[in-house]
Amino acid sequence: MRAQLMWRTLPSLVLGLLFLSTPVMGSCLDKDQELLRQLQKQADIMQRTSMLLHPYIQSQGLDKDGLKEHCRERPGTFPSKEALQRLSRQELLRALDTMLDHVLHRLMALQRDIPKAQDLETVNRAKQNIRGFKNNIHCMAQLLPGSSERTEPAPIGPGTSPSPTPTPDTFQRRLEGCRFLHGYHRFMHSVGQVFREWAESPSRSRRHSPRRGLRKGARRVPLSRGNKRLLPRGQLPR
Amino acid sequence: MALFSVSKTAFLLAFLSLRTYQSEVLSEPLPWAPESLKVSVNTTSQSLHLQWTVHNLAHHQEFRMVFQIEISRIKTSNVIWVENYTTTVKWNQVLHWSWESKLPLECAKHFIRMRSAVDAAKTPGPRVWSSWSSWEEADVQNSLGQDLLFVFPKDKLVEEGSNVTICYVSKSHQNNISCYLEGVRMQGEQLDPNVSVFNLNHVAFIRETGTNIYCKPGQGDGIKGTVLFVSKVLQEPKDFSCETQDLMTLNCTWDPGSDTGLLKQLSQSYTLFESFSGKKILCKHKSWCLWQVAPESQDMYNFTLTAENYLRKRSVHLLFHLTHRVHPMAPFNVLFKNVNATSATMTWKVHAIGKYYTLLCQVELYGEGKVTQHNVSVKVDGVHLFSGLEPDTEYLAQVRCANGDHFWKWSEWTHQNFTTVEAAPSEAPDVWRNVKIVQGRCVVTLFWKPLSKLQAHGKILFYNIVIEYLDRTSGSEVLSIPAPASGTELPLNQCSSQIRITASNSVGTSPASVLVVSREPGNEEVEEERVKGTEDGFPLSWNPQPRHVTGYLVEWCEQPRDPPCDLQWKNLGPNVTSTVVSSDAFRPGVRYNFRIYGISTERVPCLLARKTGYSQELAPSDNPQVVMTNLTSHSFTLSWKNYSTESQPSFIQGYHVYLKSKAGRCHSGSEKAVLSDVPCVGWLIVPPPQQITEIISILTYFCSFEEGKVLIKNTTLFSSPAPTLIRILLPTVFCILLIMITCYLKSQWMKEKCYPDIPDPYKSSVLSLIKSKENPHLTIMNIKDCVPDSIEVLNKQEGTRKSFTETESTKPTYLYLLPTEKRYSSPGPCICFENFTYNQAASDSASCGHVPAPPKAPPSQLGLLTSPENLLKALEKNYMNSLGEIPAGETSLNYVSQLASPMSGDMSNLPKNPPEPALCSEYKMQMAIPLGLASPPSSGSSSLSSITLLDEGERYH
Repeated sequence: MRAQLMWRTLPSLVLGLLFLSTPVMGSCLDKDQELLRQLQKQADIMQRTSMLLHPYIQSQGLDKDGLKEHCRERPGTFPSKEALQRLSRQELLRALDTMLDHVLHRLMALQRDIPKAQDLETVNRAKQNIRGFKNNIHCMAQLLPGSSERTEPAPIGPGTSPSPTPTPDTFQRRLEGCRFLHGYHRFMHSVGQVFREWAESPSRSRRHSPRRGLRKGARRVPLSRGNKRLLPRGQLPR
Repeated sequence: MALFSVSKTAFLLAFLSLRTYQSEVLSEPLPWAPESLKVSVNTTSQSLHLQWTVHNLAHHQEFRMVFQIEISRIKTSNVIWVENYTTTVKWNQVLHWSWESKLPLECAKHFIRMRSAVDAAKTPGPRVWSSWSSWEEADVQNSLGQDLLFVFPKDKLVEEGSNVTICYVSKSHQNNISCYLEGVRMQGEQLDPNVSVFNLNHVAFIRETGTNIYCKPGQGDGIKGTVLFVSKVLQEPKDFSCETQDLMTLNCTWDPGSDTGLLKQLSQSYTLFESFSGKKILCKHKSWCLWQVAPESQDMYNFTLTAENYLRKRSVHLLFHLTHRVHPMAPFNVLFKNVNATSATMTWKVHAIGKYYTLLCQVELYGEGKVTQHNVSVKVDGVHLFSGLEPDTEYLAQVRCANGDHFWKWSEWTHQNFTTVEAAPSEAPDVWRNVKIVQGRCVVTLFWKPLSKLQAHGKILFYNIVIEYLDRTSGSEVLSIPAPASGTELPLNQCSSQIRITASNSVGTSPASVLVVSREPGNEEVEEERVKGTEDGFPLSWNPQPRHVTGYLVEWCEQPRDPPCDLQWKNLGPNVTSTVVSSDAFRPGVRYNFRIYGISTERVPCLLARKTGYSQELAPSDNPQVVMTNLTSHSFTLSWKNYSTESQPSFIQGYHVYLKSKAGRCHSGSEKAVLSDVPCVGWLIVPPPQQITEIISILTYFCSFEEGKVLIKNTTLFSSPAPTLIRILLPTVFCILLIMITCYLKSQWMKEKCYPDIPDPYKSSVLSLIKSKENPHLTIMNIKDCVPDSIEVLNKQEGTRKSFTETESTKPTYLYLLPTEKRYSSPGPCICFENFTYNQAASDSASCGHVPAPPKAPPSQLGLLTSPENLLKALEKNYMNSLGEIPAGETSLNYVSQLASPMSGDMSNLPKNPPEPALCSEYKMQMAIPLGLASPPSSGSSSLSSITLLDEGERYH
């Protein structure tokens, strides 16, 4: 229970820190639609497996028959698209920020197993993309109504849970890293789709409060926040 | 002796006592047996680690003992390893021993036991062992975890080419587990029902991130694997060397060799150990390391460089004296002072390497394509004076230094450029002239060559020209021509003058170059000679001058000389009588004219020789335009005017003329005519050939014996052997033809005037009228069917013109040609046709229906009628015309041809015996043929009919 509380409060703390670090991150666009398009494009770029997964598979020798089939996202590592759609905008942004922090940490861990400078450069570029994406998330969060209000941590369920502890075995760590990257690209694909849905209903971006947005989302998927909180950890809502 | 006996006894006693002790041990358990044996497993190194103690050792007691260790796998009876470990054992000491397993320890249980013995290798007899310790079990499988499948060893690091054993441990009951190495299935052997091993021999390096080995069951997602890190063999460092730049820090470098190809974490490390000081450092870099020198406390250093990774260790050593490894830093602050036209002083500083060391510095100077080198000893500051420099020249100076006491290495070079200042030009400009008289006034064109850099000593700004007239009636003229001019044209007030030319730069003026111009044009009558150029140039020679000359000068120029060419010249000494003029500007096919002058002591040039030639002769660029004239039966003239031999790329020595017959063979004897010494406008008379029909070509012939061919034209000559006959026959034939044509035209004209064409009776309208009114069977008589038997002479009075009805009263006169008795017994009907359109009167008389028997005609009349050819021809003509229009079978009537020709010459005889005198008579030849004879006679031909006419006439003779 204590751990659950900690994982709930951690994203809000992170987002709060992001808000405080706004001057460091630079100025934000004040046009939410333009910012949303930018986020979509970034998500489109980050979902490409050529940005991370394929170079990783290549460098680790996982591109072999019978082996690459196991390089699939492990359920529960990242939230599903449906789970993201259920979140209000504020909640989604917070969840994204948290997940991307997690990705950054994993990427830094993966870098230790990458010997070639070229592959390292690939990972560094991916990390820069994630940081830029996080910055835009921060800006988008500021544009949303009620951003100054204290918000609860995003209850996105499975994605917030810590990933399985990497095994000391290099092979297992390698395989887990591959699966993680696969899930990361899939996750960014889902994020891009959700952002696209935002763009298709622009009126929701400013005029509706997060709560209303959440209610709209709840109408699409008849699952209340309370119910979502009751979802067992590590299980994707369907 | 007694001493020997005592010692021998003592040795025996001691030996006996030892043997007694050993026998006691054998009979009792050994008091120093291993105790507290503990076995631990290091899965990283795949080794078993044993530790134990030896019991009952007295304080300060030491024994050299042997421990025999047995290792069994899977079960105790399966002993796989026995080893004797010998060591010195002290009181209360914990002993250690390790054993590395080839098979991953996780793959099978291992059992270990040991026993000990005192090391009595120096003593004879069997070794007395203690009892075995109990079996200690090393079982890692118990701590593997909850997974169903494991692959071992984990992350093993091996060298390329080594042998590795891999195993998997399955906790499930299904045995359908397959294992792969980089996607290739491996074949293994089953160690027990849940364990299989795979032996990999000579493993190869695949990638830095290791080789993936994995196993997976037939069903499910329980893939497990391991990474085998294969390292390349660690190489020994090469070229290990240490040096210092400041006696404070040693920089040690080496070549690490090829990389082991592993991740940074697994890569080799390098350590540097100095034995005298005992210091050891871990180098941060793979190829160099810095070592701090203890100042003034250590001169000798003995380094050991060790390259080490998990698998191998390589070391190299280096012993040296510190001062022998001084590699000074590059000098700095290089400056130049007191730079003038010919010298400069360079100063520099060096980094100090101690108080008592002297540096040897090397100074190099680059300039004008030369290098000079100097060595300078330096403590702190270096100074060097460069002398003998060229003015206005840029130099590059560089300096480097080394330890002067113990040379090790030069420092890096330090470069600096400097430029000397300008000086006055050292040489007079090389000047030549060309003098011409323009409108009675001397005009001299001066040419000079730019001074070389070594002569100019700076940038030439002006060329100063001073003209001094030798008769001193005029004052001097001074001109200044700005550089970079290379010549000027000067009209002189007087030809006899002396010209002085100097070059000036910013510092001063060069010595003067003096030329003397005189009105005398020089020896222009010198005959021009030809000179043949070679690859080296034009070899020129001339006769030495009896007069004293200060030198010779050769000038040359491309032809033509006018407009002024790029005049070139070459000065030669007074003793030179030959030279080879060479120039890169010489081009093949260009004629160059050379003039050789002798320069007198008064600086007056005198022309000695003129030569002309080509550096290389080429084929003529164009061929003569040949014109052929004066063509006769035995000669013709070829001419090629306006062919300029001077503009040709070679000397034209002659022309070739080729003659060729039509048959294709060259005409013997005269087919080739070599025409030498033919001027540019020439005439050639070709000898008369016997059968010349064509001139094929004319070939230009020149000195290099190459030929250019040009086809001029094909000309046909007369080949008649009798020209006189031709001269007669041709006009004759021509005249005859002319006369014939004239006569023909005249006769035609006469005919038109006197005997016009008789109209065609068939087309007469009267015929149709007669047919319709009188006799429907009336038709035209064929003349062939008519036999003329009489001639009717009509007397026609001029001006009488009667109507058609009045013709009955006219009585025609008939000349009977045939005898009456041979004719028909009774006068047959005979119809006479007359040309009404021609003679109305005659027509009227011929319209009679009955023809009376004709009277006998005198023979003369018959002859008159039949003799003229034209008359017969005209008759024949009309007859033939009639035949053409009468259809065959319809000819049933006789035809009477009517001719009227009062102008005929033959007719003029008629008045001699006329039946009746008449002014104008008309002849009518009437042929009366009976109807029974309407068909042709046996001969049936018209000609025969005519002959018959003549025969009948002859009968009267």
